[in-house]
Amino acid sequence: MPVKKRKLPDAGDHEHRCKLSSLSRPHIRPVKPVGAVRSFSGKRCLTWFHEYAGPGTVVGPEAMAKFCEDVGVEPENVLMLVLAWHLEAANMGFFTRDEWLRGMTVLQCDCTERLQSKLDYLRSELNDAAAFKNIYRYAFDFSRDKNQRVLDMDTAKSMLDLLLGRTWPLFPVFHRFLESKYKGLNKDQWYNVLEFSRTINPDLSNYDEDGAWPVLLDEFVEWRKSCSAS
Amino acid sequence: MFIYQITGGSKVCGVGATPSLVHCRINKHCCSLFATDRPKLAENYTEDTWLKLRDAVGAIQNSTSIKYNLEELYQAVENLCSYKVSPTLYKQLRQVCEDHVQAQIHQFREYPFFCTQHCQEKSLDNLSFLKRMNRCWQDHCRQTIMIRSIFLFLDRTYVLQNSLLPSIWDTGLELFRTHIVSDSAVQKRTVEGILEQIELERNGETVDRSLLRSLLGMLSDLQVYKDSFEERFLTETNRLYAAEGQRLMQERDVPEYLHHVSRRLEEENDRIVSYLDQSTQKPLISCVEKQLLGEHMTAILQKGLSTLLDENRVTELALLYQLFSKVKGGLPTLLQFWRDYIKSFGGEIVCTPEKDKDMVQELLDFKDKMDNVAQTCFARNESFINAMKEAFETFINKRPNKPAELIAKYVDSKLRAGNKEATEEELERILDKIMIIFRFIHGKDVFEAFYKKDLAKRLLVGKSASVDAEKSMLSKLKHECGAAFTSKLEGMFKDMELSKDIMIQFKQYMQNQSEPSNIELTVNILTMGYWPSYTPMEVHLPPEMVKLQEVFKLFYLGKHSGRKLQWQPTLGHAVLKAEFKEGKKELQVSLFQTLVLLMFNEGEEFSMEEIRTATGIEEGELRRTLQSLACGKARVLNKNPRGKDVEDGDRFNFNNDFKHKLFRIKINQIQMKETVEEQVSTTERVFQDRQYQIDAAVVRIMKMRKTLSHNLLVSELYNQLKFPVKPGDLKKRIESLIDRDYMERDKETPNQYHYVA
Repeated sequence: MPVKKRKLPDAGDHEHRCKLSSLSRPHIRPVKPVGAVRSFSGKRCLTWFHEYAGPGTVVGPEAMAKFCEDVGVEPENVLMLVLAWHLEAANMGFFTRDEWLRGMTVLQCDCTERLQSKLDYLRSELNDAAAFKNIYRYAFDFSRDKNQRVLDMDTAKSMLDLLLGRTWPLFPVFHRFLESKYKGLNKDQWYNVLEFSRTINPDLSNYDEDGAWPVLLDEFVEWRKSCSAS
Repeated sequence: MFIYQITGGSKVCGVGATPSLVHCRINKHCCSLFATDRPKLAENYTEDTWLKLRDAVGAIQNSTSIKYNLEELYQAVENLCSYKVSPTLYKQLRQVCEDHVQAQIHQFREYPFFCTQHCQEKSLDNLSFLKRMNRCWQDHCRQTIMIRSIFLFLDRTYVLQNSLLPSIWDTGLELFRTHIVSDSAVQKRTVEGILEQIELERNGETVDRSLLRSLLGMLSDLQVYKDSFEERFLTETNRLYAAEGQRLMQERDVPEYLHHVSRRLEEENDRIVSYLDQSTQKPLISCVEKQLLGEHMTAILQKGLSTLLDENRVTELALLYQLFSKVKGGLPTLLQFWRDYIKSFGGEIVCTPEKDKDMVQELLDFKDKMDNVAQTCFARNESFINAMKEAFETFINKRPNKPAELIAKYVDSKLRAGNKEATEEELERILDKIMIIFRFIHGKDVFEAFYKKDLAKRLLVGKSASVDAEKSMLSKLKHECGAAFTSKLEGMFKDMELSKDIMIQFKQYMQNQSEPSNIELTVNILTMGYWPSYTPMEVHLPPEMVKLQEVFKLFYLGKHSGRKLQWQPTLGHAVLKAEFKEGKKELQVSLFQTLVLLMFNEGEEFSMEEIRTATGIEEGELRRTLQSLACGKARVLNKNPRGKDVEDGDRFNFNNDFKHKLFRIKINQIQMKETVEEQVSTTERVFQDRQYQIDAAVVRIMKMRKTLSHNLLVSELYNQLKFPVKPGDLKKRIESLIDRDYMERDKETPNQYHYVA
């Protein structure tokens, strides 16, 4: 939709016109400092949405790829996960219209440039422990196949790599362990892996087998200990 | 007024007298003396009398005959005493005695002291020294007694009045001690001589015991026994037995050693009785016990207890117990080794899978053996019996589940018909013993599952030997585990009774039917829930059977309209009339066997595949069935090709040439046998059941507590669950329940759980 250019009132007619205007229609005159940002526009946001979704109501995987390109972030980048979290997107690779509108409104982004300016902020959220925990937990339902209760192992491994790959020293070891007998991770196990990575020493010295850790992690510790012993 | 009477000989009896008034009789004169008026003694009387007395004493001391008659001497003493000469007399007597005693020392001082070349000779020297000493002592005692009898009056008057003065006898002892025994060289030699004799005797030689008794009595009387002898004696004893203990522990085996110790203790006790002073008994015996037993307790047990127990050497074990009970810490040490032995021996019985089929019998025998030992050898000591129970409980549960299963099988074998080994009383006793072992097992639900399965077979295939025995076993279980445990089993019995009643009614019903059948049908109705679960199977029954089953169903549901009946072909059995070349036979067969055999009324030969299609019997079952008909003892079918196992392409035909000495032949034993699949599935069902119980317990606990930490939940579960569980198993169930949204973890504290309503 073409942008309508608003006609500014003549300086001479100002008083007269203003009186009339103020009676009939509230006239919002934006304050415009030099080089200022215009305010968020829902309409603009939706227009932006439809650039990718076309006439439909969902941005699908192909459109998502274009979107990522435009924003300048790879689709596998963890920032996309953070964005999805803000949008409360239900499924990986899809944004619905409602999710888009709601989430972008919160972020106050209605165009690509604005989103790009928000990327640093999104990145910073990864360093906040509470926010990260929520993002991490969100990741489970987000990446899960909705027909299953369990996150399949391949997806789980790549998500873990994304989230913990750089920060958890034991991740490579755990990654190797997961290749053994488990076909997937359930929610409880997923949540506990984060706890584990945050509280247990790399040498596993403070791990309590009789504690409430899921059996998967008990087995991981046992496996790890027997590997280093041999 | 007191009267002295002098009887014949030197025997004098008198009573303590007051010297003021005395009526006395001297040989020739007889006069009464009164306190006021005493005739003066002749001046030399005192002197002369003393001389006489001194002579007499001298004669006694030198063992020569006394010139004077004893009465005379006695009287003389009396006279002197009445003239207040007592103190002087006493002193003079003492002096004479002292002089004499002092002179005796020389014979001992001069005794050769240097070592001769041969030890033999030295001992002889020592021995003769001892003998001489003894003689000297004996002489001294005898002499003192004689002297005393002469000076009795003095002893009983003057001496008694002056409590500080020793009596004549005591004076004699004192003198002997001072001048003879206190001499250090003499004492040393005496004591060493005695010790040497004792050592000889301990080494097996015979010694003169009366000599030793006398000498030790001497030391005792002289009050030097403890200081001069006993201390050294105990030190020597200690040294001797310490060395002996060390040496014999190496050289002898344990039973021999124990006997030796027992003998030594006897010997030493005998020594006490024979010549040592009674006061030495306690330290002596405890010294021997310490050196021969106390120091070697652990070594003895380590070296020999296992063998003694293995070989059931009850005499030596009793001796061991007896000896150890005397030593401090003996019984506790024995107890510990006893417990460890039971744990290790029993552990081997239980944990050796190759010996599984004998496990139960071995356990029973082992228990019997240990009971016997505890009773006959360990005097039924409570703590030993308790230790045994503890040990049994520990080792039996080292291997989960298998012992319970095997015990159930064992009981089954005893309760089956055809078990002609035991009489009723014997069977009762065996079952009681089984219960004792059963009591030790944790995880009794495994037993119940197998017992139930076997009981069902016994009841349904008609293999139970005696209803009384079954009921007896049931009541024992009820007593042990409570009514809840046995309620289902009792239900099974009840079903059998009810079925009998129903059959009576059914028979009457059948008589009133228009179409009598030529098949006699017996039905057992099993209440689902009491009996083990059987996988339902659909097989193709011949039409006559189907019709009969329908008739029964109609009849039964007429009486119990709300119920549903499901036929269980696996449990059925039948009697078939068969005609072979040799003649008619009756075959007792399972239902499956029946279906297979009936096919051969319609055709000559069939392949396995054909039989399967026709009968609908599942493949594994069919193989077993065919095997029992064609490859077992009674081959009513022929298999082509021949062989023990049933393979896919095999073909079967009727064996017309079948021969058997019996008319009615049982071929349905396979129904009683347990397949590997059965055993596995029974065990798995128990585990499955345990999982449900754990889940139910967790939910129950969480529902009540709403929020609970992991550790508290786990400990509460251990309290409630009646079977053994590992913490890992509990965790798995907890995770499963979390996954199914029965409970959840706390968001902040992951080891806390919340109940999800």
